[in-house]
Amino acid sequence: MVGGGVRNLHEVDSERACGLRIRSARHRHRMSFQEEQKSQDRVISELQQRVAELEANDRFRLVVESAPNGIILASPEGVITMVNQRAEELFGYSREEFVGLRIDELVPTRYRGHHAGLRDSFHGDPKTRAMGAGRDLYAVGKHGKEFPVEIALTPIPEGGETYVLASIIDITQRKQSDEALLRYAEELERSNAELASFASVASHDLQEPLRKIRTMGERLRALCHHELDEKGRDYLDRMVKASDNMHRLIRDLLSFSRVETKGRPFSNVDLNKSVAEAISMLELAIEESSSGIEVSGDLPTVTADEAQMMQLFQNLIGNAIKFRKMDANPVVRISAAPVKMGKRDGVELRVKDNGIGFEEKYRDRIFEIFQRLHGKQQFEGTGIGLAICKKIVERHDGTITAFGRPGEGAEFVVTLPLEQPKQREISQS
Amino acid sequence: MKPLKKCILMMADDDPDDREFVREAFEQCGFEGEFRYVEDGAELLDYLLLQGEFSGGSECPAPDLILLDLNMPRVNGHEALTLIKSNSKLRRIPIVALSTSESADDIEKTYDLGVNSFITKPSSFDQLVELADGLKRYWLEMVKLPTTV
Repeated sequence: MVGGGVRNLHEVDSERACGLRIRSARHRHRMSFQEEQKSQDRVISELQQRVAELEANDRFRLVVESAPNGIILASPEGVITMVNQRAEELFGYSREEFVGLRIDELVPTRYRGHHAGLRDSFHGDPKTRAMGAGRDLYAVGKHGKEFPVEIALTPIPEGGETYVLASIIDITQRKQSDEALLRYAEELERSNAELASFASVASHDLQEPLRKIRTMGERLRALCHHELDEKGRDYLDRMVKASDNMHRLIRDLLSFSRVETKGRPFSNVDLNKSVAEAISMLELAIEESSSGIEVSGDLPTVTADEAQMMQLFQNLIGNAIKFRKMDANPVVRISAAPVKMGKRDGVELRVKDNGIGFEEKYRDRIFEIFQRLHGKQQFEGTGIGLAICKKIVERHDGTITAFGRPGEGAEFVVTLPLEQPKQREISQS
Repeated sequence: MKPLKKCILMMADDDPDDREFVREAFEQCGFEGEFRYVEDGAELLDYLLLQGEFSGGSECPAPDLILLDLNMPRVNGHEALTLIKSNSKLRRIPIVALSTSESADDIEKTYDLGVNSFITKPSSFDQLVELADGLKRYWLEMVKLPTTV
């Protein structure tokens, strides 16, 4: 019975129970049966408690041992007393080498003097904290190799003294990907800026020789007209026409690139005013086409580039008038509704017309620069208007899309945040 | 007012085609005076100050109007403008900047340096003739300038 109980415990943890069993056996022959029974019960309960403790201890050790962070326990004097496996891997010291080593040995030489002072101040006010908040921390391993780390310190009271538990993460990889990301962002910004200035310089410089081609062509037509036969005059006409077209393309390319390069700082813009200005810019086209422009309700005020908001509406309304049906007067309806853009409050603007519409499979193409859905004989223009709209909207962190069907009109939907981050208002000039 | 026949029009431009266009345009609108040109700002200053290849100067009367390109080698239009407008003997000569630039910055800067007018080079010959006619009538016929320039 007694043996059975012990045997059961044996099964749980034979090695550790062994000491107790032998001790209790040694006492057995001097006791009465009752005494023995009692003592045996006590031993068993003691045993059970001890085993539970040891088990808990083991579990804890296992947790510490297998933690993904390097863990180091140091005495108040800064001497290492315990480490886990990850710490061995991180620093290249074995467990035996670690124990007795001063914690300062893990700090790069150039920081050591400073570190001693910091250690003192930790012991002056021991509480859990992140080490070196706000600056880069480095550790040094056995072979002198430095690596960036993040360290959390926890005070461990032990026998009236305060030990320090340091939990260490090697952040080499994180730092590398942070740096790579930063480099990539810088590179992207530079190449974007380069592209923008390239477009602007190229289009400006391209205008120069083109101006001469046009002027020479005109002079040729004016002065040598009678010396050319009909075929020659036709070629000349086509040449002048082609150079006029190129002139428009370059001019439009320039205004496209200016959305970024000549963008103005953001301010509070009353969209009612932007629409009114756009309408007044389009006065002639509206009159000639007998268009009706209806603004339903009040439009909000947004943080934006004022000139670009005007241009946005001018291009959208102008687009609606241009692609009108031949048999109906154009009607353009503008409306606004509040919308959530992620966490930001925004406005959804709709510009709806009763024009020729378009096939939705071309939806993305209409916003691309120099893309046209119709022949040049049918509708004039280079196909820049909506591309500029898209660029303006994107500069304001907004979106633009379109809905429509052939013969049933088109609707353009623009979302814009009501407010812009402060720094953009100041820095974008 | 000086008779048009005796007026001297000075163009500073490094582009021979543009000089030719402008000369022809002025001719076509009935300008009978003398059309002279220099190829950059340095040459313009030499002419006006009677120095360098123009020292001696009996052949270099002061022009009645300067047409100034901005983008020129050696001394560009802005630099030439700065020097001319800070020279008390030259500052009264009317200067019209004739540039391909349409940039607001360029226009602002050129006026700040004291140019009398800023004009973007027209992109067709007909417009150029119109411009020449306008310049001729305004600067050489209408405007009253100090007699001693």
